[in-house]
Amino acid sequence: MFIGVTGYNHESSAALVDKNGVLVDFYREESLSRIKGDKSFPKRSIKKLLDTNNLKIKDIERVAFYERPLSAFLHIVKEASLHMPKSLKLLTHQFRNFNRSSVSCYLDFAKFFKGLENKLIYSDHHLSHTLTTLAYSKTKKDLCSVVVDGFGDRSTASISQIVDPTEINELWECPYPLSLGLFYSAITDYLGFAINEGEYKVMGLASFGDSNSKSAKLVRRLMNWDSTSNQITSDMRYFDYHLSTSNSYSSKLEDLLGPARNPFVQLIPGDSDFQRFANIARGAQDLTVYLLGKIFTHAHKITSSRRFLFSGGVAMNSASIDTLAQLPFVDEIIIPPSPGDAGCAIGAAYYCYIKSSYYSDLNISKPTLFPSLKEIRNEEYLTEQIIFNEFSVLERNEDDAFLKAAELISSGEVIGTVLSNSETGPRALGNRSLICDGKNKDAVENLNTVIKNRSPFRPTAPAMRYETAKKYYKLRIEIHDCYKSMSSTCKCLKDNVSLEFPTTHVDGTARIQIVENNSSLDKLFSKLEPLGIEILANSSLNVSGDPICFDLVDGLMVCSRTKLRYLLTDLGLLKRKN
Amino acid sequence: MKKTKSELPIFYETAHAELASALEMLAACKGTNSQNQALGYFMHAKDEYNHARFFFNMLSKRGNLASTEIARDFRFTPPSLLTKGYISNKGFLIDTMKLKDFIAFVYTNELLAKSSFENILNLVGCSTEEGKIISSIMKEELRHHGMAKKHFLSHYPALQPWQLMIYRTRETINNKGRKIYDANLKLLDQLLTPLYRAMAFLAGTIAKKLNLNEFRRKGKNLMNISSFSIL
Repeated sequence: MFIGVTGYNHESSAALVDKNGVLVDFYREESLSRIKGDKSFPKRSIKKLLDTNNLKIKDIERVAFYERPLSAFLHIVKEASLHMPKSLKLLTHQFRNFNRSSVSCYLDFAKFFKGLENKLIYSDHHLSHTLTTLAYSKTKKDLCSVVVDGFGDRSTASISQIVDPTEINELWECPYPLSLGLFYSAITDYLGFAINEGEYKVMGLASFGDSNSKSAKLVRRLMNWDSTSNQITSDMRYFDYHLSTSNSYSSKLEDLLGPARNPFVQLIPGDSDFQRFANIARGAQDLTVYLLGKIFTHAHKITSSRRFLFSGGVAMNSASIDTLAQLPFVDEIIIPPSPGDAGCAIGAAYYCYIKSSYYSDLNISKPTLFPSLKEIRNEEYLTEQIIFNEFSVLERNEDDAFLKAAELISSGEVIGTVLSNSETGPRALGNRSLICDGKNKDAVENLNTVIKNRSPFRPTAPAMRYETAKKYYKLRIEIHDCYKSMSSTCKCLKDNVSLEFPTTHVDGTARIQIVENNSSLDKLFSKLEPLGIEILANSSLNVSGDPICFDLVDGLMVCSRTKLRYLLTDLGLLKRKN
Repeated sequence: MKKTKSELPIFYETAHAELASALEMLAACKGTNSQNQALGYFMHAKDEYNHARFFFNMLSKRGNLASTEIARDFRFTPPSLLTKGYISNKGFLIDTMKLKDFIAFVYTNELLAKSSFENILNLVGCSTEEGKIISSIMKEELRHHGMAKKHFLSHYPALQPWQLMIYRTRETINNKGRKIYDANLKLLDQLLTPLYRAMAFLAGTIAKKLNLNEFRRKGKNLMNISSFSIL
């Protein structure tokens, strides 16, 4: 058995791969601690991996950390040292927190899981991303891996040629501090959203912006691609993320674009300043699409590959994927369901597996979208009193519960789901979702504003079967798998009725989910379609600011804290009493 | 504006504390073997979540009036629950304490929370809408305190109420101690900052000379690089 671990910088997680190359289990620390974006050493996740799978430390052959800790530390220090005294605060922070950085992962293993520290190895950050994505690819040879994130080990983006899983050659890198990911985060910060959390809000806001506006054009000029050196260029005077612990952008950016947004002021379409901020978001989105196009073009040029693996935090920018798929040399783009750092635990675990010399015949199985194992603990026993006091059970039988849920959805209700195993990535794919009729405007609005309390400019994703998706949306075969994990938006067909769906964004796109055969949502659709419902609005089951629900207790808690009335669970269909 | 500026840290910290309490109770709910305890912890967590939401709303109202520069400092990010010490890096209290100590901790801290809410109540005024909600939160904290006491005495009947008083006194002293420690740490931090900066400057001067180019990966098979190297 092999464990892969991420942590300290972004969301921490742990993954378990067996000797047959199968991803057995995966947990995000935030799912267990209930602290969104939890980046502490993933002790709960590792413990759960061991407990759930009845493993002892001796059963673990190797454990891999997803990056080279000292490299990441030194590159940040080296860059900051070039800008002293301005960067002195950052330097002081780095040195004072040395023992809290990923450098201490060996000690944390020794402290919490004695014995595992002796089995610890290290993978390159971008290699972990690549191996995660490789696991989700049907073929494992002759591919090109493009990784674009904020920062990892030494670079912020890289291109590698995958000859086979044992030969992955890095051919290009973008050196720190030039970073598309950190640029997008800085704009996120400027727009008043939290870094590492609000980027998807910027993406949603961008659709309201105008690419030809002055603000968008100014942002568009902040970075560029130099065709001679084949490198990203940037005027770093506008950014402070490499010099400061608290500011990601400099006062010069405010001089250029106007004052930054107060994070507490609501952003509502039509309000003063909304259009300015939307235009800035548009500029950031345009620049991202442009630079990704350049990186992919360069990747094709140096590898001659037509099939790409794409990962890193920037791969979560689902609005850019449709454009990348249209590049003439692209045959296929694979994006893992968790392309950010949390997903790297899977790649790190596969790194152990591949490095293990015992297995000459490598067999990396494609992981499921729902890998986290169910609780060993009897949820039914634990929640009995809670359900008895706070809920009534409408249907216990699974088939009847799904049918009743379908009837409720057709009558305009919103249903929460806590079914089977939970999802790998940040997007709810039906097992931990809030769902309603995707064509019913009132129901979608109820889901969005009353239950989720989401910003009014953010769209809700539609989920459907493939046959339905073909009728309404311009699908691209190159990114077919991306639709299964909501990793890409697509355009509505021209003059199509889908343009009027409440799940369609203001720019005529939707981040669709094509449900997998035999998944929970597929099963629900078999009850919904006879009732005339072919599209569901699908949002994650959580309260704004919390991680997605993990177990039944979390689901019951969301139901108790919000106006959500129905919960479809493995124990049956529940209705909140009050 | 001055009042807003002084209120922001209070609501910011209180919201953190209430959310951390909610998470502690949720963890306790998931960790218990008793159905009744699970229900009790669940209801307690729900109350604490509601309290946190209220204080976040209050924070939001004040943040709305503050300048962007100040408001940015009070933007909530969940990992700060850990970095600020509201949730221990070692784990949740239910995982690190004996059950008896955990209940005694809840018993004591609910009462302490109530007294800190009294200060907030004075700040916003009893007759305001916010004041009325704080009053009801205080009642809920008292209820939690009472439930913890009942729970404690029913599970440990051999213990007498005076022994619970000892727990309370101990926790009150601990809390005061933590405050003194925190204040001293801040003072010490201020005093030592010039020294830290000087050391960072020195280390930075050395770091400037580091040549990290040899660790670049361009043209290398990433699978062949030593898996034991942290560089």
